Amino acid sequence: MKADSFASVQRKSIINIVIVGLFSLLVFRLFQMQIIQQELYDEKSANNSIKAIEQIPLRGVFLDRNGEVLVSNIPAYTLRITPAYYDRKLNRILETVLGVDSGYIDKILYNNRVYSKFIPIRIRRGIEFKVVSWLEENSEHLPGVDYIVEMQRGYPAGVMASQNFGYTKEISPRQLKEENDYYNPGDYVGYNGIEKTYEKLLRGEKGYNYILVDSKQKEIGKFKDGARDVSSHKGYDLVLSIDADVQRVIEKEFEGRSGAAVAIDPKTGEILAIGSFPQYDLNQFSYVTSRDYLAKLYNDPDRPSFNRATSSPKPPGSTFKIMAAIAALDMGVITEETTIYCGGGFTFGRFFKCHGGAHGSINVVHAIEKSCNTFFYNLIYKIGLDKWHDYAERLGFNKPVNIDIGEEVKGLIPDNEYYEKRYGPNWPRSIMASLGIGQGEVNVTPLQLAQYVALVANDGKSFTPHLVKGYKEDQTKPMIPLKFPEIDTGIKKEAFEIAKKGMFLVVQGAGTATRIRMKEFNIAGKTGTAQNPHGKDHALFIGFAPFDDPQIAVAVVVENVGFGGTHAAPIAQKMFEAYLLKNKLKEKQQTLPQFDQTLIGAKFAD
Amino acid sequence: MQIDYKLKDKFDPGIFLPVFILIIIGLTAIYSSTVNHPTASGNFERQLIFGIIAVIVFFVTYSIPTNSFRFIAVPAYLLSLLLLIVVLVAGKKVGGAKSWLDFGPLGFQPSELAKIGTILSLAAFLSRKNTNIESFKDIVIALAIGFVPVALILLEPDMGTSFVFFGLILTLIFWKGISLFGLFVVLSPPLVAISSLFGTFYFIVALVFVGIGLIFFRKDIFFSGSILALNLGAGFFADYVYKALSPHQQKRIQSFIDPMADPLGAGYNAIQAKVAIGSGGLFGKGFLHGNQTQLQFIPEQWTDFIYCVIGEEFGFIGSAATLLLFLFLFMRILKIASQTKDEFLSLTVIGILAVYFVHLLINVGMAVGIMPVIGIPLPFVSYGGTSLLVNMFMLGIVANVYRTRKNYT
Repeated sequence: MKADSFASVQRKSIINIVIVGLFSLLVFRLFQMQIIQQELYDEKSANNSIKAIEQIPLRGVFLDRNGEVLVSNIPAYTLRITPAYYDRKLNRILETVLGVDSGYIDKILYNNRVYSKFIPIRIRRGIEFKVVSWLEENSEHLPGVDYIVEMQRGYPAGVMASQNFGYTKEISPRQLKEENDYYNPGDYVGYNGIEKTYEKLLRGEKGYNYILVDSKQKEIGKFKDGARDVSSHKGYDLVLSIDADVQRVIEKEFEGRSGAAVAIDPKTGEILAIGSFPQYDLNQFSYVTSRDYLAKLYNDPDRPSFNRATSSPKPPGSTFKIMAAIAALDMGVITEETTIYCGGGFTFGRFFKCHGGAHGSINVVHAIEKSCNTFFYNLIYKIGLDKWHDYAERLGFNKPVNIDIGEEVKGLIPDNEYYEKRYGPNWPRSIMASLGIGQGEVNVTPLQLAQYVALVANDGKSFTPHLVKGYKEDQTKPMIPLKFPEIDTGIKKEAFEIAKKGMFLVVQGAGTATRIRMKEFNIAGKTGTAQNPHGKDHALFIGFAPFDDPQIAVAVVVENVGFGGTHAAPIAQKMFEAYLLKNKLKEKQQTLPQFDQTLIGAKFAD
Repeated sequence: MQIDYKLKDKFDPGIFLPVFILIIIGLTAIYSSTVNHPTASGNFERQLIFGIIAVIVFFVTYSIPTNSFRFIAVPAYLLSLLLLIVVLVAGKKVGGAKSWLDFGPLGFQPSELAKIGTILSLAAFLSRKNTNIESFKDIVIALAIGFVPVALILLEPDMGTSFVFFGLILTLIFWKGISLFGLFVVLSPPLVAISSLFGTFYFIVALVFVGIGLIFFRKDIFFSGSILALNLGAGFFADYVYKALSPHQQKRIQSFIDPMADPLGAGYNAIQAKVAIGSGGLFGKGFLHGNQTQLQFIPEQWTDFIYCVIGEEFGFIGSAATLLLFLFLFMRILKIASQTKDEFLSLTVIGILAVYFVHLLINVGMAVGIMPVIGIPLPFVSYGGTSLLVNMFMLGIVANVYRTRKNYT
């Protein structure tokens, strides 16, 4: 037998080598995959079959300063469809029941086509209870259709402060891109107001339930019986500085009117009430906002979506006289005794008329009391534009207040540079005169006015106005307070004291707002009427109470109504009353149970 | 020669025991992959029954006179050719290939039977006294015997099984003693054919190598020219066959070249199989705890991807041990083939070894991602009655040859 013939030893060896060689290759490959690259494959395997189901935590609620719930969570029903089991023949009947346009369901299903057919898709949130009962009754005929309970915002206190509380909305693609480490598509985030500023406190921490899914993404069961699950953490409850009673007063008083009102605790900068009117119904935003409502909202000429309190600058009118008085007193260009003669007007280039006839020789206190224009026309020239501008800024104008709800404008306080830009280097000095009485090219926001009167009330010291005092884990836990910057105007206390005497007389003396005098406490204030080239004047009132120990400072602006003492001051009075006579009002309420709760304040004030 | 009548000399436990363990491993893996499956949950019981029958078949085959195999060679071959034609006409399509003959509740694949027929008849032809493996005519006859069933199987089209036939034909003529040049003539056309699938460039490169080979062997110009023409033809034929393949098989070939190109399509099984095995680690995730397996990431895992179940749930230790059982078995069979003096029986045994080995190589190779996904079962382990019966019948032949190995001189 030749060496290379049948079944030779060499041939056996060759086969042997081939077999052993290829086996070694396979074992080597197994070693490589199962020992060296095991982690890589393990991760892939886990990603394959373990799915994290997000648990959306309960959003924190808003409490008022006394613990009353202003914004809560209420259960709402969401209709879902699982495409794998759903028959699109049901579209028509479902769309009819939901009251949506034909094609609505197909559109949503199409937008979600990239996800597994076994993942339920939210079709409509906030469905009505009668739809839920219809679903229950017909569930056997509705394969792939179900509903879940989710939380939406509720407003149990009957107050909104719409533009300031704000609402939540499905996250925008842009924000999602920026904050993709936490948010997922479809998440709801604070869109404006407090909901937006305090989003990170309110949202809580998402939890995850790990489930096992098969290759079709169908749930098989819990992963390790839920041992790896992370429970969600409820968001912090916010303790607002808002006083629900005062807030209710402004929301009621401004029904049918346009304007804004802000109340501040002068000692702390805490905002007790804030409103911009007309406002909109936050309930409409709690989940699904109908297109009709949005269209109505954005086309409304009164612009309810616009936050007048922080973003609508207007001339402050006579309320600005206090500012000029304080500036002059602090600078020492006048004293309490300095008098200026009012003969019914003031001439500088042209004649500026004083209202209410001639006031005669008048000092600063009475000039405030009577709101004498002549006095302040003169005073502005004594102060000078630069100094006047400087004091306005010290009292918080011409810059954002930095309230904790975002959007606001800085208004306008003119200076030399401004006039030169506008009218050239030789701008007529006469246009300065009207600045003394808060008219002309000067614009302030209601919020700035409120901060200003708070600073006056507290002798030039306060804190940045804010809406949130602090937050707590839940209603049984102590509050963790938030800190806000202190404000110090650096103005002498005496200047404020003299100006405040005038403000006292405005209400308690023979001033422009004597009609709001109360027997329980003394109110100090200043009326204002801002000229409006587009219609009736805007009525303004700033004030604080009680006079000896100011606890509440308010600014009220009512648009297009006329004189401040007539239209703005009474609202302020009701705000003071609601805040300072809270307990008394409550007692009264208990003895007069037949009265409608919201009417109590109004009845008592008559 | 002395005949030892002790059992140890008549029966080689080294053949039966590894296979018996492999069948049990297979049953375990089938149980694991089907216990939670909605439609395949009866597969374990069916395989258990087939396993019992297969063991009986093994012992029957072991016991019958060794000469019987010589007598059934040609009839078995002709019968399988007939059935291969029948299956093309009346077969049932399973997994894209018309390879299944249905007889009521039972069905079987004629290509399984054809393996036995081809091994036996090719061995019979090669072991004839006047067959000269160096003669061109006899090589052509041998190749014809082998490639007629291959052609029929390719028409089904069942590529995996065709590879098994390539392997067994090659091994048989090699074992018979073909010269290096003869091997070159036999082997070059398929290699040229495969390289043509990769594109024209590789086709030309392969032809150049064939040319260099021909110069090396220094045969006359006419002969060399015919060989080159044969190779050229093989390249075009392969291209033709590729185009004749069903789209799912074409995709599988492509997906082997780049599995990530279509991760949810044809490459899906390849990726999921690797993930299953790789994530098994050293000790595996434990019986019934492989999430890839239990959550059915790999379709029909109990058949061609059974090795993934072993890899995932029993880890490196389990999958390497399975390979070692096969290695041990193959070494035993090779030893028997070389010890047997009778040419026909020796060729038969080496043919059986080739079938087992190619099956294992392709099956495990595709599971670990070094072979394209061309579905053929893992012998003794994968679910499937016909395959198990035929494999045990062939193992019975090997054991039978061992029993009577000393009867020949």
